[in-house]
Amino acid sequence: MFDLVSRLSQYNNLMWSGSLETLYMVAMSLFFAIVLGIPLGVLTTITRSGHILPNKYLNFILDGIINIGRSIPFIILMVAVIPFTRMVVGTSIGTNAAVVPLSLAAIPFMGRVTDNAILEVDNGVIESAQSMGASPSQLVFKVLLPESLPAIILGLTLTAISLVSYSAMAGAIGGGGLGDIAIRYGYQRFQLLIMLETIVILVVMVQVIQRIGNLIADSFDHR
Amino acid sequence: MIRIESLTKVYKAAQGDIEAIKNLNLEVDDGEIFGIIGPSGAGKSTLIRMLNLLEKPTSGSININDINLTELSSVNLREARQKIGMIFQHFNLLSSRTVLRNVAFPLEIAGVSKKKRLKKAKELIDLVGLGDRENAYPAQLSGGQKQRVGIARALANDPDLLLSDEATSSLDPESTKSILELLARIREEMNLTIILITHEMGVIKDICDRVAVIEEGEIIEKGSVFDIFAEPKTPLTKKFISAVIDFNLPPGIVKHLKEERPGEMVRVSFVGEKTHQPYISYLVKHYSVDANILYGNIDEIQGVPFGTLILDLEGDLENVENSIAYLKSEGLNVEVLDNV
Repeated sequence: MFDLVSRLSQYNNLMWSGSLETLYMVAMSLFFAIVLGIPLGVLTTITRSGHILPNKYLNFILDGIINIGRSIPFIILMVAVIPFTRMVVGTSIGTNAAVVPLSLAAIPFMGRVTDNAILEVDNGVIESAQSMGASPSQLVFKVLLPESLPAIILGLTLTAISLVSYSAMAGAIGGGGLGDIAIRYGYQRFQLLIMLETIVILVVMVQVIQRIGNLIADSFDHR
Repeated sequence: MIRIESLTKVYKAAQGDIEAIKNLNLEVDDGEIFGIIGPSGAGKSTLIRMLNLLEKPTSGSININDINLTELSSVNLREARQKIGMIFQHFNLLSSRTVLRNVAFPLEIAGVSKKKRLKKAKELIDLVGLGDRENAYPAQLSGGQKQRVGIARALANDPDLLLSDEATSSLDPESTKSILELLARIREEMNLTIILITHEMGVIKDICDRVAVIEEGEIIEKGSVFDIFAEPKTPLTKKFISAVIDFNLPPGIVKHLKEERPGEMVRVSFVGEKTHQPYISYLVKHYSVDANILYGNIDEIQGVPFGTLILDLEGDLENVENSIAYLKSEGLNVEVLDNV
């Protein structure tokens, strides 16, 4: 047992920096998912027929963007957007480069999650705010978003966890992070222990993210 | 004053157009509690939701204090809506906000400063008797308490008109009573006009001044609540009234009575000071008929006593007819019950 720990401990630095890289990639793409994915979801919902700003054409386009983004397998998306990644960050290798395809996957994902969350807001509540004279922007910021906040936070948690696993895939094309370590050390050099350790770290990471997400969502949930 | 003119609502459907409201005209005076009653599907919900344009009328106009809501731009409509409070069957409170912030919400929309709106919200919460629950969330309240929050919220912008969309329909009888009392009280205190829709005649009887009965998108009967109760004209209205004042006799008793004795069964309704007169004993003494009281009830509608009696009058046919004529001549409302 001691032997095992000491053999693994020589990779502590590597594991630590790999974990940080993974967290960095997840955090950065989560940031873009929040900044772009949530508005995408909100616009999709409110332009649906019968919602607060119905617009058939805009809704068709936005819903299409979400569906297309969600239907491309991540491993293919990653390769397909390499030219775009080069254009944005100047290289297609490394954690910064990985953030581009990760964000492109996370934005439509978060868009759909937000769309679903906002659709759950009771129509009667929206109507009551309309009966008070609320404008569409007041409806979004004072009714739809606050009322669906717990669901949106759980959706963000779901997105974050998907990003952890996507980021491991990004390791396959030189994206860095724990996935990269698992492939280079565990797979290519047959170091089974390294492979296992990265899996354990990933499992712990996912557990912690889910716990934190649940706690935050609960704290906003007064239903 | 609220003036509704030739209001029509047509829903487009695959099977053809459905006319939910048909060329409806109505005037409601300031400070009045006006009830609209009808069976489900009659269009009453569509009607009340058109009064603040939650539902857009197909044609016709809605004038509130001489402003035609149907002609307003969306910005002006939003402003006009601030002066029309609305309460709902399912309360529709924001679950993410405390009672205090729910009540302050309309003021927030209207752009009132935080200090002012919280002060006003607190006053209203006290007014509806929820002073100790201002920091509770809606999920922690009972149905009756939630509707009190709904009422306080509807009053936040000092509206001229309050619309009530089945506000007591999901409450137990006890809460219904206290909510109706609250509505009657705020009408007095704030000189508010209230238009309410309901399918319960009890609500109409308890707080309304006037009532319109609506069936298939049309008003079939309209008048003061008292008149409608005293002399309902349509079968639907009679049905609604019988839910509150039940003068239907058990069929077994009716059969028994009809078989055994000659005579007529009559329903006599009488109002006001007539409730104090000893008509029945006069009848028995002077027309040699026997009067058997099968049902009796005295109620109060808008503060006026209102009584109903069902009598089985036994005796010669002539005597019975004379006695009925006597009751009618005294100004009582007499109805011979042939097929009870």
